[in-house]
Amino acid sequence: MEKHPVIVSVGRTKFGEHYGLEPEKLIENAWLAASKECDLERRNLQACYIADCFLPITNKLGLEEGFLSELTGLHVPMTVARSVTGALETACHAIRAGVYDVVLVGGIEKMTDRWDKIRDDLMLLEDPWSYYAGGTPESNHELMLRAYVRKYGIKGEDLEALNLALAQVSVKNHEHALRNEYAQFQRRITVEQVLSARKAAGKPLGIYDFAPVSDGASALIVASEEAAQKMTDLPVKVLACTSATDYLNYPARDDLTGFMSARIAMKNALETARISLHDIQIAELYDQSTVMEMVSLEDLGFCAPGTAWRSIRGSCSDYRGYYDLGGHKLFTNLNGGLKADGNPVGATGGAQLYELFKQLRGEAGDRQVKVDELPKYACSLELEGFGASARICILGGPKA
Amino acid sequence: MSSEPIERRVSYLGDRLRASKCGICGKEYFEPRDYCSNCGRKSLGKMSDFDLFYDKGELELCTLVTEPTNKFTKLGRYVYGIVSFHNGKIRVPGRLTDWLIKKGEDVEFSKLEGREVVPRFRRRYSVDKQEIIPTISLAFTFADEYYLHQEYVPVKPKHEHELPGIVGYGFYTSRFRIKEGILERAVPFIDEDAITAAVESGKLALIHSGVENTRVGKVYVGSESNPYAVKPIASKVAQVLKLGTEEEGVLSVDAVDTEFACKAASSMFKDAAALVSYPKSGIEYAMVVGADNSQAAPRDSPGGELDLFVGYGGTAFIFGKQDVIAEIEAWSSCTSDTPDFWRRDGEIFPMHGGRFTGDPAYFKHVKKAATKLMENQGLKSIDIDYFVTHQPNPQFPAKVARELGFKEEQYADSLQVSKFGNTYSGCSPTGLAAVLDIAKPEKTILMVSYGSGAGSDAYLFRTTNQILEKRPRQKLTVKYQAENPHLEFVNYETYRQLKLGM
Repeated sequence: MEKHPVIVSVGRTKFGEHYGLEPEKLIENAWLAASKECDLERRNLQACYIADCFLPITNKLGLEEGFLSELTGLHVPMTVARSVTGALETACHAIRAGVYDVVLVGGIEKMTDRWDKIRDDLMLLEDPWSYYAGGTPESNHELMLRAYVRKYGIKGEDLEALNLALAQVSVKNHEHALRNEYAQFQRRITVEQVLSARKAAGKPLGIYDFAPVSDGASALIVASEEAAQKMTDLPVKVLACTSATDYLNYPARDDLTGFMSARIAMKNALETARISLHDIQIAELYDQSTVMEMVSLEDLGFCAPGTAWRSIRGSCSDYRGYYDLGGHKLFTNLNGGLKADGNPVGATGGAQLYELFKQLRGEAGDRQVKVDELPKYACSLELEGFGASARICILGGPKA
Repeated sequence: MSSEPIERRVSYLGDRLRASKCGICGKEYFEPRDYCSNCGRKSLGKMSDFDLFYDKGELELCTLVTEPTNKFTKLGRYVYGIVSFHNGKIRVPGRLTDWLIKKGEDVEFSKLEGREVVPRFRRRYSVDKQEIIPTISLAFTFADEYYLHQEYVPVKPKHEHELPGIVGYGFYTSRFRIKEGILERAVPFIDEDAITAAVESGKLALIHSGVENTRVGKVYVGSESNPYAVKPIASKVAQVLKLGTEEEGVLSVDAVDTEFACKAASSMFKDAAALVSYPKSGIEYAMVVGADNSQAAPRDSPGGELDLFVGYGGTAFIFGKQDVIAEIEAWSSCTSDTPDFWRRDGEIFPMHGGRFTGDPAYFKHVKKAATKLMENQGLKSIDIDYFVTHQPNPQFPAKVARELGFKEEQYADSLQVSKFGNTYSGCSPTGLAAVLDIAKPEKTILMVSYGSGAGSDAYLFRTTNQILEKRPRQKLTVKYQAENPHLEFVNYETYRQLKLGM
């Protein structure tokens, strides 16, 4: 009989610049917060799945298993992944297969420890040939925007509206972060600020279009449904955790106007979860840039290709907390998204799942969204590199 | 520290933009692979390698980089984008080079997208002084500007000559100039150096000659501004231009660098000519390149007087016995240990001046080599159609020409110093290229180089009918590059900064 994985509890640190803290301290804080919430004894953990993208580079910490063992005092199997959603996917396989009943899934990143070289690291990891040709972590996003504008023939007033819509994505995410005590940027920004930053740089996107570089950690306690019964009354079900991949070299991909990996992962996730797209009320999108949030609305199927900017523009001119997608209300990036919550790459997926967990349980405080009742289904999209890997997680609330 | 094995692999693939094509479905890949992802295992053994080195692409999408990653900071602001080849069958990332974008300058991407671009061989990015210099051809310029796209079409030779000679040549310099008074001088872009000029001029020589790259058996590169104290430029030229046949990662070509101040390249003309004439050498063609990013100390410091005249560029000649455009009829060299210009190991700028400048050095050696050769051949100055000599400044060559009895119409065409500056090892060769660009068949050319230290090589060339046949293949002539509408003039500070490179 197949077992069903659920999330029992979540924990995270504030994202931002933690110059004073060792990376170990960050994961410890996130893990202890998650353990405390479900009153978990360490000895009940059967395995750990830990994600990080850059620790071997930023902190010369290669054997993450070892320091996690030292930190927890555990000698259980540990697996290192690159993203929390990736770690969760592997953890869920193990639970479904009946190998483990209770595991820790976490993510950690300490990017500011290499603040002077991290952009080179990010770009080399993302796409080496583009790096060798002079690309930056921002340039592929801008090229995707150029490709999008050209493909759909957007010009004149429409182009202005699209640029405004992208600015509003950033403004909206900052607005959401005001109510998130863990967010890196808890401050309001204006459309004018976004636009003038672009103008000052003479570029399609400016500093306010991009997520920052961050430190942080996140942790989830994941268990089989049966084992979870002893730990919580409100388990959040992992209905699907899927992934798909695409070429590392962005210029070589077939479609430059979105992420094929995200499209495939979402299609598979919906099939696995056996729900329809419109059952999903909350989406935590991977807004490494405002362009990524826009194209992801299309990649995930919420908007038709070439139209997301119109929906964003329509919803944000009189913003009510959600995107109005032809009558369907979709709440996005309630924690502030990567833009305002922060983006410690290896831990970011955990913050997305943290937010969905809290929202589905009705524990999100003044960020809590409700249409008629608590939302039942939510999804997260995590992209690795520039979409070389896309990961979708669909969660179902306690009543789903 | 960057990784030497990685840098070398990236150079191997990126310098020529090596790619492959599936023999079944036609899908193309950058970088090469043994297997087509469309066709699967049945494509094994059916993939063929090609490269985009002589190709023309289209700038499909672009954006502006204002905050480059660390190794690119010396490039400042640049346009970066995606270049497609073969109607989008293959797409590569790339940056536009040869463009100084000022802060606040508006770049309209939609006006750049869709334009044709040509790959350029350049330094990839900055590295520490002790590291190997990474290069790449993922730098591009517009095909309708300074550097035109030219196809490379190897031509089967038709006629074997009795005497060896020049079968093709190419002159390359940047589109940047500094102008002071009437003197214009070529300035490299920041990602250029003697290595990139050597490769680019060699590429133009292959295009002009129509010689199959695999049939070049030797390459000499003369330079006094090799960015390495030890490591040949010639090996890079051989590898990037694929000289000789490639087998198990090595090329069947002999490559060597030479140095004798400004005659490092011209000295090897006779060696190249002798080599292709010696039946047992097995070498059909030999390439000689003179390339320099001519060095000079800043104007107000010792050796700074050179700063008024230094240029940048490379000139390459291919020697052989088939389809010769200018036969070598005679030569004569002379040497004495006369130090009028030198650079000690470890010093970045040469010293110049002192008691040997002028008469005991330049004039003495140029005149000796010229008169000796004319005597040997029983010629007088009136029998020569074109006189070419080394041009350290505008005055010296005119003076020595007059003293040898030449009239202005005999030497004026070769004088290029006031257009490009003194390109050191490439200097008298550039004068020769300028003459070959315009000379009719059956004309005699007397070329006399000069290298500080000191010595001169005199050559007597006679042009053939082939010169007219091959001329249309070369659009980037000396005159075209001297009078190009896309020249950009920079101020003194920018010139010094560009010359120092990245």
